[in-house]
Amino acid sequence: MDFTITSEVVDKVAKLKLTGELDSLSARVFQKEIEKVALESPTELVLDLENLSFMSSAGLRVLIFSKQKMGVGLTIYIVKPQEIIVDTLEKTGLQHSVNIVDQYPV
Amino acid sequence: MELKTFPAIIDSLDAIRQYVKEKSQEAGVDKKATYNLLVAVDEIATNIILYGYQNVGLEGNIDVFSEATPNQFKVIFEDDATPFDPTTRELPDEEDFNLPLEERPIGGLGIYLTITGVSDFSYEYKNNRNRNIFVVDIKSP
Repeated sequence: MDFTITSEVVDKVAKLKLTGELDSLSARVFQKEIEKVALESPTELVLDLENLSFMSSAGLRVLIFSKQKMGVGLTIYIVKPQEIIVDTLEKTGLQHSVNIVDQYPV
Repeated sequence: MELKTFPAIIDSLDAIRQYVKEKSQEAGVDKKATYNLLVAVDEIATNIILYGYQNVGLEGNIDVFSEATPNQFKVIFEDDATPFDPTTRELPDEEDFNLPLEERPIGGLGIYLTITGVSDFSYEYKNNRNRNIFVVDIKSP
């Protein structure tokens, strides 16, 4: 399934919407988008994953990269992830470092 | 065993996942176990493609074998790249998982998800080929 990503940064809040399947190939696109929004030094990163149906470890690595790139002050929100993706986040302990929410603003 | 061959390029990942998904569903593996298997095969296929072929300037294929019995679904990847045993990678542990994100080591997550995502994962080098073997036990409904 094709992967698409859209992003906008408004008032230091970077919002990204990911659709499709996030594998090593699409993780490169995701990472580029993170690098792009990082230039505006956001304090909040909001990832809308409602329509993301697959996330490989390459996707998890970009999440870790985001925090390392944008600094400890960055708060990450993951909006409406599918249950199976929450499982992956929990299995790898990443749920401690992100806020899984049903909507943003919370 | 059924065989389908894919070129060892990163663009094959999607097709490999779709193929394994189809076979897994045919075999009666449930949705969640199929998903976890897909994370595992995606990880190993990525490693073979990037480190076995692309980054060392080689071209080749990944042979994807699959076999279903009433109790088990098995997928085997075979390739001719340099021998590489993914199970020798150091796995992240509980301590790593509790570190704040900014201090987390970035590697090892994939192989961790591979090993924990299937009932059994093993590697062997046989007849000059890498063999990565994924086994999923099928739960009776």
